[in-house]
Amino acid sequence: MRIIKETHINFMGKTGVAAIFSAVLILVGVGSMITKGGPKLSIDFKGGTQVAVNYTEPVDITEVRSALSNVVIDGRDFDFSNAEIKHFGNESDVVVRLPIIEDEPEQFTHKFVEKMAEAFPALVPDNESEFILSIVKLWPKIGAELSGDAFMAIISTLILILIYISIRFEFRYAVGAIAALTHDVLITLGIFSLLNLEVSLAVIAAFLTIVGYSLNDTIVIFDRIRENVKGAKSATLSSVINESINQSLSRTIITSLTTFFVVLILYLVGGEVIHTFAFAMIVGVIIGTYSSIFIASPVLIKMGSDS
Amino acid sequence: MQSNLTPRYLIIGLILAWAIYALTPTWQYQGLTDDEKEELRTSGELEQIESRTIRQGLDLKGGMYIVLEADIPTLMSNLADMKDDRLESILQSAKEKATSPDVDFFTVFEQDVKADGIKLSRYYHKYGASLDDILLALKDEADDAINRVLEILQNRVDQFGVAEPTIQKQGKHRIVVELAGIQDSKRARALLQSTALLEFYLVKNGGVTNEMIAQLDDILKETTDEAELKELADGGETATPEEPKQTDLDDDGTKTVSELFGETDSSPSDDSDETGINILADAPFSSLLAAFGNDLGVPEKNVYALKKLLNKSEVQSKLKSANGQFLFSQKSESPQGGTGVNNFYRLYYLENSPELTGGIVDEARADLGSIGGGTAGQPIVSLSMNSEGSRTWARVTGANISERIAIVLDNKVHMAPSIKEKISGGNTQIQGFGSMNEAQDLAIILRAGALPAPVNIIEERIVGPSLGADSIAQGTQAVIFGLALVLIFMLVYYKMAGIVADFALIWNILLVLAVLASLQATLTLPGIAGLILTVGMSIDANVIIFERIREELQKGKTPKAAIDAGYDRALTTIIDANVTTLIAALVLYQFGTGPIKGFATVLFWGILISMFTAVFITRTIFTSYTSRKGLKTLSI
Repeated sequence: MRIIKETHINFMGKTGVAAIFSAVLILVGVGSMITKGGPKLSIDFKGGTQVAVNYTEPVDITEVRSALSNVVIDGRDFDFSNAEIKHFGNESDVVVRLPIIEDEPEQFTHKFVEKMAEAFPALVPDNESEFILSIVKLWPKIGAELSGDAFMAIISTLILILIYISIRFEFRYAVGAIAALTHDVLITLGIFSLLNLEVSLAVIAAFLTIVGYSLNDTIVIFDRIRENVKGAKSATLSSVINESINQSLSRTIITSLTTFFVVLILYLVGGEVIHTFAFAMIVGVIIGTYSSIFIASPVLIKMGSDS
Repeated sequence: MQSNLTPRYLIIGLILAWAIYALTPTWQYQGLTDDEKEELRTSGELEQIESRTIRQGLDLKGGMYIVLEADIPTLMSNLADMKDDRLESILQSAKEKATSPDVDFFTVFEQDVKADGIKLSRYYHKYGASLDDILLALKDEADDAINRVLEILQNRVDQFGVAEPTIQKQGKHRIVVELAGIQDSKRARALLQSTALLEFYLVKNGGVTNEMIAQLDDILKETTDEAELKELADGGETATPEEPKQTDLDDDGTKTVSELFGETDSSPSDDSDETGINILADAPFSSLLAAFGNDLGVPEKNVYALKKLLNKSEVQSKLKSANGQFLFSQKSESPQGGTGVNNFYRLYYLENSPELTGGIVDEARADLGSIGGGTAGQPIVSLSMNSEGSRTWARVTGANISERIAIVLDNKVHMAPSIKEKISGGNTQIQGFGSMNEAQDLAIILRAGALPAPVNIIEERIVGPSLGADSIAQGTQAVIFGLALVLIFMLVYYKMAGIVADFALIWNILLVLAVLASLQATLTLPGIAGLILTVGMSIDANVIIFERIREELQKGKTPKAAIDAGYDRALTTIIDANVTTLIAALVLYQFGTGPIKGFATVLFWGILISMFTAVFITRTIFTSYTSRKGLKTLSI
């Protein structure tokens, strides 16, 4: 069986259209991030308290909100109605996110969970330990540290890859690859911002995997280009690249499809906890495949004509 | 390719044998019922099996992950021979500056000390004379303190009885605690965070207390403005309309503050906010109080307002000059026969230097009070003190008969009994626990000793058991679906060659699990995602090879020549392409925490092993296939 027979598509002839497409995607995404004051960061980076609980039956978010509008904990009145309150996976699970409260009452989280239970006493599971799904509490200090770590992780990955490709290929290949990666991460970040999705630690992990995946794809094409450049000294770089992309197109599509379907399955059945991670991967697989052909290679041509 | 494949078969066979060996304990463990596990645990065999299985992360089996940070500034303040405002303020400012992650407390402290021209030897002369000597010694003290904290926490957790707790130092001043399967997060939190500073203070008598309250009222009347009072009234209304507190108390036979001490004229019984403020304005302090038995009581809803007042600098300096301090009782109580809606904390006015402090506890035991005593059937903690403690205790109790002494743990009063007679044996009992668990935890804490520095929880992640179970189910489902999809696709698309690739893929998964088991790595939910991703990505090597072979076949090569050319050409591509993913995985491992590390581990080994399975194993199969039959066509 064969999806792709021999092809002779002039990919490099379409780089102009691709450049505009990418530019628009990046501009819209970055624009959205700027208007929203940066990417929407999860509790991992901002700090705060996040409590997810499990009621036995579906509850209405507005009811939860009104129940939390006046909560008394240790003699202090709290109004949590402005907090972020959402369903968590299904209608009966609720997640509430609060900022860290200054000089908060002792065992605040525990007392807050008790208030969540008191809000709908009839809907609390008999076995109380089943009521709490998860609690995350992070002081902003840790959040700042984690953002620093995540930033360092992405930068050092890019630098290491730049070095590796420079050694194994040539510097211009490395520039092409890094251009493609930056493109992928920027677009994925932009899409996250447009869809109002949160960037968490897991999403950063997804970004780095996207970096690895997109590179994988780029290098397979680069490898073909390198091989073909040696064989055909007279042809233009652009035509060699076209030939190489066409030759590896079948592989590109098959691998992208298997990876795509696998992350799609992860997205569909993997559960709430890794939902955004899987989504980032889906976006990354698509963008990564596209960028190997339409970003990495054209940049390689640009760099090649200069030298 | 040489036709002698024996060494290759041997290598493959050996690796298969190793994988089976590495995975057997995990198989066994999965098959055990809870009863069997318990049986094996008592015989000590379970630990052996467990040490060779793939461990599940807290996000899968549920549990608690806590990061504690030692409060170094407070430790520094405690270490000083002499304390004054100047030292406190410099410690405070260094503390504030050192909240950013890249700043070391001592570096900032040193800068501040130098900039201020403060002489450290004034405060820390026992550590040397020069600034460098003192700083070095203080750093050593801090390192030592965190190591002791680690030891003490280990001790506490061990006695608490959790299966496989992990307690590790992270960086210089942090400790990471992982408690699997814990259900009572409140209890665990309290157990870890308690400094366990046990102190005994004399309680000041009613007259003195009364006088101080009146003085504080006067001070606060002058310094507290209307807006602040309004806020206090809102935050803690003096009474709730449905349940007038005053009558409630009278019914219980308790008296108001004014009755008890005969001081304040206005009785804080009015319901309306308006009057509430007036009372606050008139007697800001005492209006938040009520009488509770023979003690001062603070209704729960007034606690926050009262603490705010007590923290005001005017109040603090007044108390300091009078050598006194107000401390709350450890927990709230409902008035006798009360419904529990209007609970009260007791408030004690104590001397501000302890008669006896920490370190003197020899043994602490939780028990039920003996029959015939006042505490019959109630949980108590019996303390026995060391000889130094016993002597001091005897002296203090002997000199203050009929006075009250407060037993204070971590700045909360557990009880304040009257001293009836001199206690010379060094034994004493603490009562006032809500449950036996509470008493047991206190005994654990007292036995393990006080922490040399207070610790703060700075990160806390709890996963409930049901969410963890869901994650396992959903993750497994995703792996099975993903794997099945890829297997079927390869089979349909590459036919015979697809079967070879499928075989290699299953090998890959098995080997990754075997590596995880022998590394005792932790499988997390992102780790499962990594496994799924490995399935998708590792098939790539075979796709690259097969596409190449197809190309070579099209050029008219024989199957054998096409296979050789396909593998040779594809190898560098596969290595180059995979090394970059390996780099990403390594960086992730380096920077990531917990679950993310699990993801990086799986991804790293998945990609690495895929190079072996997808290249080495499949090629061996192909070669033996082609050489045996000398066939003309290839099913690819």
